[in-house]
Amino acid sequence: MADVPRIVFTTALATLMYALGGVAAVAASPAPAPKATAPPPTTLLYLSAKRLDFFYNRFLIEGDGNVRVRTSDGFTVTGDAFSMDLKLNRFLVAGHVTLHDATGTVSGAAISDFLDFRRIYFVPVTTEPDRWTFLDGDLAHPVKGRVMPDDAFYFPSVGEHPSITATGAIIGTKTYVRFVNAHTYFLGAGAPLGSYVVNFSPNQYFAQNTLSGASVDLTWNLAGNTNSLTAVHLRYDPTYKTYLSVEQHFVGDHEYAILSVNPATRAEKWWNLALYEKLGSRFQIQTFSQYYAQQNWLNMPRAAQQTTYINATYAFPHSYVQATSQLTNYNVLGPGSLNPGTIAGNLSHPSQLQLTATSFQNKIAGLPLYEQIYEGYGFNHDSVGGLQYDQGSNGIPPIPIPGLQAYGAPCANQHDAKNPPVYYCPVYTTIWNTVLGFNLYTPSIKLNDPPSPYQAYYFNASFNKQYQWNSLPHWISTASENFSINRQFSRSLNTYVGYQILNVGDHYINGGYVPCEPAGTSYCPLSFTSFRGVSTLRTTSFGLNLVPTPDFNFSLLVRHHDDYPIPVPGLFGLPPNNILGQPLYSSYLGQAPYDATGDVRFKVWAHGLLDVSRTFYWYGNPYRTQFWQPTFVVQLLPI
Amino acid sequence: MRRTALSLVVAALAIVLVAASSTVVVTGQLLAYESGYVFFTTGDGFRVATGVSIRDAKTGGPTAIAPAPRVWARATFDATGTVTELDLSRDPLPPQGSFADVAHYAVALSSPVPNPDLLKAIETPAPGQTMVAVQSFSGKPVLVTFIVQVPPYTPFTASVYISTDQSGWNAQAIPMDRVDALHYEITRRFNSGTQFRYLYDRGSLQSQEVAQNGLARTPRQLLVTDADVRVIRDTVTGWQDSAPGAVNQPQPQIMPTPYNPAPFPNLPTCLPAPQPPSAHGKPPPPPGCPGGPPPR
Repeated sequence: MADVPRIVFTTALATLMYALGGVAAVAASPAPAPKATAPPPTTLLYLSAKRLDFFYNRFLIEGDGNVRVRTSDGFTVTGDAFSMDLKLNRFLVAGHVTLHDATGTVSGAAISDFLDFRRIYFVPVTTEPDRWTFLDGDLAHPVKGRVMPDDAFYFPSVGEHPSITATGAIIGTKTYVRFVNAHTYFLGAGAPLGSYVVNFSPNQYFAQNTLSGASVDLTWNLAGNTNSLTAVHLRYDPTYKTYLSVEQHFVGDHEYAILSVNPATRAEKWWNLALYEKLGSRFQIQTFSQYYAQQNWLNMPRAAQQTTYINATYAFPHSYVQATSQLTNYNVLGPGSLNPGTIAGNLSHPSQLQLTATSFQNKIAGLPLYEQIYEGYGFNHDSVGGLQYDQGSNGIPPIPIPGLQAYGAPCANQHDAKNPPVYYCPVYTTIWNTVLGFNLYTPSIKLNDPPSPYQAYYFNASFNKQYQWNSLPHWISTASENFSINRQFSRSLNTYVGYQILNVGDHYINGGYVPCEPAGTSYCPLSFTSFRGVSTLRTTSFGLNLVPTPDFNFSLLVRHHDDYPIPVPGLFGLPPNNILGQPLYSSYLGQAPYDATGDVRFKVWAHGLLDVSRTFYWYGNPYRTQFWQPTFVVQLLPI
Repeated sequence: MRRTALSLVVAALAIVLVAASSTVVVTGQLLAYESGYVFFTTGDGFRVATGVSIRDAKTGGPTAIAPAPRVWARATFDATGTVTELDLSRDPLPPQGSFADVAHYAVALSSPVPNPDLLKAIETPAPGQTMVAVQSFSGKPVLVTFIVQVPPYTPFTASVYISTDQSGWNAQAIPMDRVDALHYEITRRFNSGTQFRYLYDRGSLQSQEVAQNGLARTPRQLLVTDADVRVIRDTVTGWQDSAPGAVNQPQPQIMPTPYNPAPFPNLPTCLPAPQPPSAHGKPPPPPGCPGGPPPR
């Protein structure tokens, strides 16, 4: 049993949850589900021409010379010119057209296939020109003389340089195009791509990805079809510099699977697997697993870790139950991997499971007030704790907390530590919790009734209270209150003022947070010395949005924080930033008392906006420290 | 009698003179040129004279451009409806004439048959009748304002975006502006007829909105119809990554307090961990901190 890697248990648990989900879904399947209209079937077009141009901004394919189109609908067309609007899902072949199918061959001037409507408009030239319409794919019985749409044979006007050129393409209607012998262009120079896939499926699951952020990412979609996409990424980030990553997507109407390795060309590799499945109308499960390996290419890893998140949701008519779990193994290598001198990490393997029932948001009587309640049960577990096996060895003292938390009386063995005692027993390796909370909010209350809507003031508020009781004798309470009043001064100008109070208390029935000493030093400023685990963050905000046109937007947010413990520059670090350089958390201990963020967005070309923002932080007296966010945050956004 | 006869002669002469000099000119884009016919992108095919004159539309002289699909042409019709001259250009030509005037010259073996697929022209209602509401799509720009109400537990400084299938579900495609504690707003210009699917998110696909029942929601759909302004009001009932009741994720050697790891990741390392009361006084600060043992 001891020889079985823990990742096997993790996998087994994930499989079990999927299996239980399947059972639940079977039970749920009779539930009423809205009947969706069957989408039009995907048609495959095999296209070749002397030259094909693809215009990414308009999703147009234009082809000239020796055009040949073979369709999965059972006919082949040749001609001089080709035009297809991938979004409108229709194509046109013009000039010396031949239409060939099982019933024979007809020549003509042009043919246009409106795939979504299953209508083919054809201008045949037999003894004289004519107009035929084929209905519902029936090429044997044309309806002759039928009036055609005015734009059936319209060529779009394209003046710009194509994004991609090719000599062949396979088009899965409404989903993807795979270009053959493709070239793209950068500063006028052509770069060969070979095979390149443009995916334009409306299925949002294609956008899911498992790669971490990077400063630059050039994506080469080298293969794909209606249900899959294979991409190689050339990336750059400050840690790993330039490297390659590979990602594979498999996508269905109700599920997806995404596999990636990132960076693929560095010794430190993260192998990622994201799975999602919606079973029936009431159950879904999704998992994310990450396997970290430090290895040269695919050689034996020197270190390997694994973590898995599982999230399963079952919907009831007026509530839902959600199970979330995280399972981590900080070492999944075999025996001997933790010997001195190795880098394999440790045997810690924390896990967590939480089961939460949440109600819908319900209106309270006839009041403009809504409520939502939730309750959850769960546990955190870590039976080992990092470095536990190093206790007392090589002159290194054991760590104070081998499991999750030590709490109780001083341990008998203090490992030669002098008084006062350092080590407490018992060590809690599992901490159970019960969570109870509710949300209360009012969406918008009009405060006055002026003649003009631009003189009206609106008030809204929300309140959240949550308790978490733990099996270790402490409990956590959080409360958040938000109030705001806003006014629209004109069509283009909107302002609001808001006030938020966030209380977080980590209460111990006995003991708890001890004073920070020595008091009054830079390590332990006075407010921090009196900190006993309860913090209060108060934030006053003023926001302004100026949007004279949709192509220009200016927003300003000025905030004042009145927090306890009082922030001290340098004592608390800033939170980590996201990929855009913005703080990951909106509230944190030690945030500067004043901050102001300006953001400007404006149109820089027909299909793009430039977004520039910067934040100014300022500590008031007695520190007077002020600083700008290190860099401007600049984003290019599509319109 | 004589006067009547004279009038008829004059009228006939006038008709002959007018007919002799009547040439019609239209410009358009070519669809095909083959089998003695020239086809325009209207789908109409016109008979071409045997000795048709093909010239450069700009210079009026000879041209190297061959009549072919995509080429722009100025076609001159004679009185019989035959094309006698084609002036060609690779660039669009100024509009001239109307294909409605030459439609009767188009050659087609079959007689026109109405197409039930096509929308009928909207007729003015009779007095006392109301006009039937019909969605129309002229392609004109329409200002569309999205106003979304977010869940009350949305962080006050959260950024909210709209992702659409038109931008490849880019999670930061359309940034919105906060207008109060619970609402965000953005105005964009779309051409009428635009149709797309969209979802709200907080900047990543992991923070996308979910349905009220906690399940991933079907994308919303918008079809922009003709209007000057449209206001879309939506409500987000939950975010995928911040369901109510979430408890801190475990980290090795870290007790699950609200200060570690989130939402306060920056607790100073010199703050002693919560401990039970001790009969021996306060425990020493952690290693490396003032008054504590040296760092390991």
